Amino acid sequence: MAGLIAGLAALGLWELLSRAGTLNPLYFPPPTVVGITLVARATGGDLAPHAAATLARLSLAFGAAALVGVPLGLAMGMIRPLRLVLDPYIAALYPLPKIALLPLLMILLGVGEQAFVLAGSLTALFQIILNTYGGVTQIDPVLLEVGHNYGARGLALFRRILLPAALPSILTGLRLGLGLALITTIAVEFTAAKSGLGHLVFRAWQTLAAAEMFAALAVVGVIGLAITRGLLCLQRRLLAWQQTYEWD
Amino acid sequence: MRRALGWATPILSLVGLLAVWEWAVGARILRESFFPPPSGIWQQATMLYASGGLAGHVAATVARLVAAFLLAALPGVAVGLLTGLSATAREAFDPFVAFIYPIPSLLYLPLAALVLGPGELPAALVCAVTPFFVIALNTALGVRSIDRPTVEAAVHYGATGRRLFQKVLLPGALPYVLVGFRVGLGLTLIVLIAVEMVSAKQGLGALLWQSWEILRVRNMYVGLALIATLGVLVTSGFDAIARRLVPWHQGPARSTRRP
Repeated sequence: MAGLIAGLAALGLWELLSRAGTLNPLYFPPPTVVGITLVARATGGDLAPHAAATLARLSLAFGAAALVGVPLGLAMGMIRPLRLVLDPYIAALYPLPKIALLPLLMILLGVGEQAFVLAGSLTALFQIILNTYGGVTQIDPVLLEVGHNYGARGLALFRRILLPAALPSILTGLRLGLGLALITTIAVEFTAAKSGLGHLVFRAWQTLAAAEMFAALAVVGVIGLAITRGLLCLQRRLLAWQQTYEWD
Repeated sequence: MRRALGWATPILSLVGLLAVWEWAVGARILRESFFPPPSGIWQQATMLYASGGLAGHVAATVARLVAAFLLAALPGVAVGLLTGLSATAREAFDPFVAFIYPIPSLLYLPLAALVLGPGELPAALVCAVTPFFVIALNTALGVRSIDRPTVEAAVHYGATGRRLFQKVLLPGALPYVLVGFRVGLGLTLIVLIAVEMVSAKQGLGALLWQSWEILRVRNMYVGLALIATLGVLVTSGFDAIARRLVPWHQGPARSTRRP
């Protein structure tokens, strides 16, 4: 509640300073102007198609990364030789910002959606693999032994013990992966793509359309907020048995 | 035997891939124009280095990385300590977290460039935004993780101000601060490469983008290899420092925390 008041106060101050000219309205148009632009562009203009383009890329990138990353991470966690073979590549490529791969991907795949989506997808993929196999390898061995002694083998051991024990870490990986995929997707749009919210901000920069830029930023902010806070709430709900979670 | 296998397999795996790559290009299974052989990439790297361009790109990126990280870390720790200690400070900080933090900070580049004009400052500031929040949030979490009786006991024994900070708060929060630094460094590198791709003449991101514009695939691989090396050096070097600073804390080795 106090946060809401502080936020509104900040917006009010911005409005005043911008109207008074203390803040250059060319760069910082008053929030009311941004709001009007936002509504006008969202209903009649191209804001909605650009937002749809970003969301489509993001969901494709994230979906593919999750489909590949979770099974691969689980396999790496359970099969030691596989882990030993793949670990050096993960260690070498995880710290590499995947946006750096974009130029190469555009040469290999052509300048198009495949390259754009793949850059975002790779970003999420490494995070998801790391957290998934970390979740499996960090399971308390006693837990597995107990399960084994009670007769859990094969699929039962996997479903009843391994998966639930690794689940918190897997969900964290998915959440972080989605956040990182958003960063890369926006960067791809900002640098190379000709559509999407990232491109809209870039275009607004080139044409000095500050109100349009803030409107696009606001939409990105809502998406980002949904990813950072919304998914955290979802994770807490899914993992109700975990008393404390990393972010309270 | 098992241990020998433990460190030999990764090395064999990497060397093996490079060897297969080299062979596959020679046998014309991989197209050389898209996948130049590792030996060719190495040659290109030594050539670029000899002609004097490469060191400048590396130096520019490293300098920006250090500057942006300091711009994020110093205020980040300060704000984190403050918001960790005081509920009022946290409430005041919350709207900034809600409004500014969720937006990928590359999108602040136009605004920073318009307001601050050309130069290095806007780039460094833009790269520092997200890591600043990550470090501040982690530091605050670290402060709140210190158990209350410890702080009360310290105050009871006369620790106040600077001493309380030095002897209790900082060591208590340090493991979390370091997690914030580590994640923050990774995020700084991501945004920095993107910023260099769009708006710099020097730096590894600029090298990548220029190579793309003139389709110099080998230069691109050289740039990628250097960025990957930089990333590995930064994270592994950082882990080594963290292990020395907080040996009592078996930190989340490679898992990350980006609240």
